[in-house]
Amino acid sequence: MATIREKGYHHWEGRLKEKPRAFWPIIRTGIKLAFERRRFKLLFAFSFVPAVVYGVGVYVSERLEDFKFMAQGAEKTLQVNPNFFKSYLTLDIIYFMILLLMSLGGAGLMADDFKHKAVQLYFSRPLTKLDYLFGKAGVVMFFVGVLTLVPGILLLILKLLFSGSFNFFLNYPWLLLSIIFYSAFLMLFFAIFVLFCSSLSNNRNYAIAIMWSIYIFSDILGAILKGIFRSPYSSLLSIKANLGQVGAAFFLLKPPYDYPWYLSLLTLSLFSILAYVAINRKVRGVEVIR
Amino acid sequence: MSVELKNIHFSYGQVKALRGVSLSLNKGATGLLGPNGAGKSTLLKVMLGFLPPDEGEGQILGYDLRTEQKLIRQQVGYMPEDECYIPGMDAVTFTSYLGELSGLPRQEAIKRAHEVLFYVGLGESRYRLIDTYSAGMRQRLKLAQALVHDPKILFLDEPTSNLDPTGRQEILELIGEIASSQEISVLICSHILADIELICDQVIIINQGQIAASGRIEDLRMINYQLYELKVKGEIEPFRQELAARGCRIEETEDRLVKIYTPPDFNSLEIFRAAARNRLQIRQFIRSQSSLEDLFARVVGVD
Repeated sequence: MATIREKGYHHWEGRLKEKPRAFWPIIRTGIKLAFERRRFKLLFAFSFVPAVVYGVGVYVSERLEDFKFMAQGAEKTLQVNPNFFKSYLTLDIIYFMILLLMSLGGAGLMADDFKHKAVQLYFSRPLTKLDYLFGKAGVVMFFVGVLTLVPGILLLILKLLFSGSFNFFLNYPWLLLSIIFYSAFLMLFFAIFVLFCSSLSNNRNYAIAIMWSIYIFSDILGAILKGIFRSPYSSLLSIKANLGQVGAAFFLLKPPYDYPWYLSLLTLSLFSILAYVAINRKVRGVEVIR
Repeated sequence: MSVELKNIHFSYGQVKALRGVSLSLNKGATGLLGPNGAGKSTLLKVMLGFLPPDEGEGQILGYDLRTEQKLIRQQVGYMPEDECYIPGMDAVTFTSYLGELSGLPRQEAIKRAHEVLFYVGLGESRYRLIDTYSAGMRQRLKLAQALVHDPKILFLDEPTSNLDPTGRQEILELIGEIASSQEISVLICSHILADIELICDQVIIINQGQIAASGRIEDLRMINYQLYELKVKGEIEPFRQELAARGCRIEETEDRLVKIYTPPDFNSLEIFRAAARNRLQIRQFIRSQSSLEDLFARVVGVD
């Protein structure tokens, strides 16, 4: 029977627990907040277009005879092999969509906390700095994973379903791991990249501008230097080129640029480490209580 | 004992912010006072476990300041001075989210969020976006988020700033109720001395990184000085100079009321003797109740 309670303050009768995954509410809430934006929902739905196109490609590749009238000469393009999966995961449009989604759902992750002085609310809770950062990074990782890991695995399943045998899987037993590890790499890189940009400003619009500027200008700078020095190493300055180069290595394919893939991995790792240091300093620099 | 600090030292580089602070905090409401730069905020940071002290030791609710900071923060509710919130959330989501981060199970956090929002007077607007809240509503929301996990200690930093007189009165009543009828220790850091005087029975005055005075307000008033109010006729200046030379502080109000703050061991007869020597006629002599403002000014050494 329900009790009638007096008006006023009441104690909670439970017992507070120290949560081993204290970052989880931050991830869940970050994702929920992103989906509360109508534009984000539209963009999120639209970002699956490349995956759908590739899914159709898998289907058509298995039914080339049926689609002969419209897929003439496309046999080579529609070959589903490790390169097919690599090309999906290193598509310009995928990176573009990730950045577009993160402009709406990720740029404010830290910038908004700084602007509205919410960091002190987090740190007056039993949270460590790592919990906070991992929670924020988890939001970005979720969306990058949804655009890379999930379609990558689905495309592989579709291939197996449409071909009706496990031959493809047996021919490339490492492919699943390549998809998982390269997607995980992208998730980690973009998480650090987005949080870095978000931590550089108290204004989410500036954070968005910084994010796009770094991504686009790194590519432009790489192209300009390549034009001047005629050296493939100039592409080391481009985030996009480095991601493509590392992607090829994950799928055991020839890298698109004429220099060792590990230099790209090193460049991206170095960038990520510096970005992490900057994020760490920024969060430490926040006055928890004035 | 909720808080027990012993000889706490803390420096920001060369600047010594806390110099041997020792204090204990009991149940009820305690005011933390001090001029700007006195070390109040640093003391709060140390008590919340953000800053490890250079020297000294302390316990909050029995947890060690240096090694059990997470456990301390689980049991402490903190209401910051700044206007802080997470944009894009309604009050229920915001409060339950922070409750969950404090260690409440999700369902319980939502339930508690509703309860505390009603308690602080935001029940009707709890589903509104915080972005649309007025400054006063956000102040109440900050109190709600500090209470959601049912803390054992509440640190309130300027809890009545941004509030209109009615709102201020309501918040003070809530804090007073929490402090008096619940098993929660409340530490209030405020510049509005009248607020402290209204709801706190104890006060800690900090100055230049040291505890300048602490204890029950009534006791401190008696220990630190006496206040006499006089109405006089005659030339006051020689009288003023003589008493000032003996450590008294004299103020004259617009309606010619003379306030004399005397040192603790000062004999009040000396006032009459000084008046006689300076040919000043005392027409009214009252031993007065001093305000917290007077106490603060005296202890900190400002007018």
